[in-house]
Amino acid sequence: MPGKSRRDFLKTTAVIGAGVAGLSSSTAKAAPKNILSEDRMGVLVDTTVCVGCRNCEWACKTAHDLPAGELHSYEDRSVFTEKRRPGTKALTVVNEYSSGKNSNLPLDVKVQCMHCDHPACVSACIVGAFSKEENGSVIWDTDKCIGCRYCMAACPFQVPAFEYDKAINPSIMKCDFCFNRTKEGKLPACVAICPVEALTYGTRTELVKIARERIKRNPDKYVDHIFGEYEVGGTAWMYLSSKDFSELDFPKLGTNPAPGVSESIQHGIFAYFVPPVSLYALLGGIMWISKHRKELDEEGKL
Amino acid sequence: MKKIIVIIFLLTISLPLSAQKNPGKDHAKSNVNCKTCHVCDVPTKDDPCLVQCPREKMKTVYESPDKTVDVVSLDELSKKYLPVTFSHRVHAQMSVLSGGCGTCHHYNTSGPIQPCKNCHQTSRKRDDISKPDLEAAYHRQCITCHREWSHGTSCNSCHNLKTTNKEYQKEEVKKKVKGKVHPALIEPAKIVFETKYEKGKMVTFFHDDHTKKFKIDCTSCHKNETCLKCHDVNKTSNEKSKIIRAQKSLDEHHKKCFSCHKEDKCESCHLGKPSEHFDHKKRTGWVLNKFHDELSCAKCHGSKIPYSKLDTKCVNCHKGWNIENFKHTITGLQLDETHAQLNCEDCHEEKNFAVKPVCSNCHENFIYPRQKPGKMVRTK
Ligand code: SF4
Ligand code: SF4
Ligand code: SF4
Repeated sequence: MPGKSRRDFLKTTAVIGAGVAGLSSSTAKAAPKNILSEDRMGVLVDTTVCVGCRNCEWACKTAHDLPAGELHSYEDRSVFTEKRRPGTKALTVVNEYSSGKNSNLPLDVKVQCMHCDHPACVSACIVGAFSKEENGSVIWDTDKCIGCRYCMAACPFQVPAFEYDKAINPSIMKCDFCFNRTKEGKLPACVAICPVEALTYGTRTELVKIARERIKRNPDKYVDHIFGEYEVGGTAWMYLSSKDFSELDFPKLGTNPAPGVSESIQHGIFAYFVPPVSLYALLGGIMWISKHRKELDEEGKL
Repeated sequence: MKKIIVIIFLLTISLPLSAQKNPGKDHAKSNVNCKTCHVCDVPTKDDPCLVQCPREKMKTVYESPDKTVDVVSLDELSKKYLPVTFSHRVHAQMSVLSGGCGTCHHYNTSGPIQPCKNCHQTSRKRDDISKPDLEAAYHRQCITCHREWSHGTSCNSCHNLKTTNKEYQKEEVKKKVKGKVHPALIEPAKIVFETKYEKGKMVTFFHDDHTKKFKIDCTSCHKNETCLKCHDVNKTSNEKSKIIRAQKSLDEHHKKCFSCHKEDKCESCHLGKPSEHFDHKKRTGWVLNKFHDELSCAKCHGSKIPYSKLDTKCVNCHKGWNIENFKHTITGLQLDETHAQLNCEDCHEEKNFAVKPVCSNCHENFIYPRQKPGKMVRTK
């Protein structure tokens, strides 16, 4: 990871930590500008548009040097009989569900890392291998990864996968938002190949606007919910659907960033060798502040 | 002089205004993309920045399917794939029952039909991501329907990849689809619905009566059908004759029927078992002979629905008939001399012409039925 992002990372953890500890957790949504770029990118997945061709699966593998096979072999729809999860061999998968409202077409849902705005994987990683980049992608540094798999445990979407079958240098694998492609100004491989542009790539701010507009114009088609707009503090990948998201195997999540944030201070400090004493002092301070606030709150309520 | 200037000034501002139809105060809330009419992002009253409608070569959207363009080739994105050539006419014909031309040509001005690429940009990496790019726009229009009945999304059902075919003969495909028309629709004679109505689960709908006898236009019931209504690779032919379980909402199912069957009771349609075809003789006591059978119901009963009961006097419809000018031959029986001299009521009791007289009414033995009272000029 380059020096710049390492500094950013420190800043990130410290500011999020302070935010969460000092104020009520809802404020974590309003993230300081120096961490989350206003222009960070995202993808709007419209499941009502997706046709389940699985071209994105093929493109993703090809872009990441994973064995992909022939594109036309992805026309086989028998894979839809069971629900699949992204793994080390496929960073994204498409699952099929029965149709939503006012349609007789099945709903196809592409699954991959959501690239959270406040990623639990970043907070959980004890060596700081994970980072949220300025362009919105959440990536990791294989050289730093020690294989502790904390990210796997922390991720509210159970995305990171571990190369258990690899004897030498096993690493975490997940969708990297095609970081290497976007760096060169290319589109993510899945976005580029999608024949119906079920995946719209743009700044997160604009995507939210577009999603709202689509719901407003077609209230009979969509459920009034942009998944990822607020879930776990917001995600870069967001979804539209014609069916309640719980029926599409999306986890029901609150609007607060997933837990793992307070350990991040600890981990951050470990990673950069700050003496534990100051850590305890800081944690103690934070605990005192939050306890004090809680007491005040309760008094206020009574 | 001043006056003239004022008049000229007023004329210049009012002319362009009157040319544009006022879309109304709240039109910003309507289900139309602002960019349909406005070029800029923030149109104001002073500067509405309206799109110039192409007024030359006015062509009304839409022509009738039979007159429309025959073959179309989509080759805007021919870098990757060989162009898709398809019979536009067949698709236009199908669209009559499923949303019309606007299903695909969803954006129109009063000018000529807009090519998709006027609005949909050819590059996926672009400024305006609010609408799909050209490739996606094409694919959405085609795949959304094609996958409905084909249950697949295979690229080569429409495309040939550039790499797989060395020489693609666009003309070949063109020749194949040129002049193609949709085969005549096979109409079901009757459809039996199984409903949830406890007192009478079965509703039998005589489709052919409605189209042929009542002359109801297909589109008055079938306007927005999905492709699946007729096309499905998984559909076996005997599935069509099966009883259909009513699944739509109560309202949806009844709406079409109620537009005519306003005063019918539930039991008129909902029966315990599938019903037999309407038999004019059984239900009304009046046999439809060869002539009458060919008429539409409205010809006798008028267009008011439900049809009112008619009495069986011939002169109800055949207003001009009277004893002087009536030619018995019209009934198919040319009376012989003896019979021609009789009065009508001698054979037709109480002048009830609805019931055919039988010979034994007058003649005792049964020779006469074999020997008609005249010459049959027509048999039914
Ligand atoms: S979805 Fe999981 S892996 Fe992806 S950014 Fe969020 S927490 Fe990290
Ligand atoms: S963004 Fe890239 S890595 Fe992520 S699913 Fe798409 S192709 Fe795969
Ligand atoms: S390529 Fe697009 S349409 Fe095809 S499965 Fe992926 S998201 Fe859906």
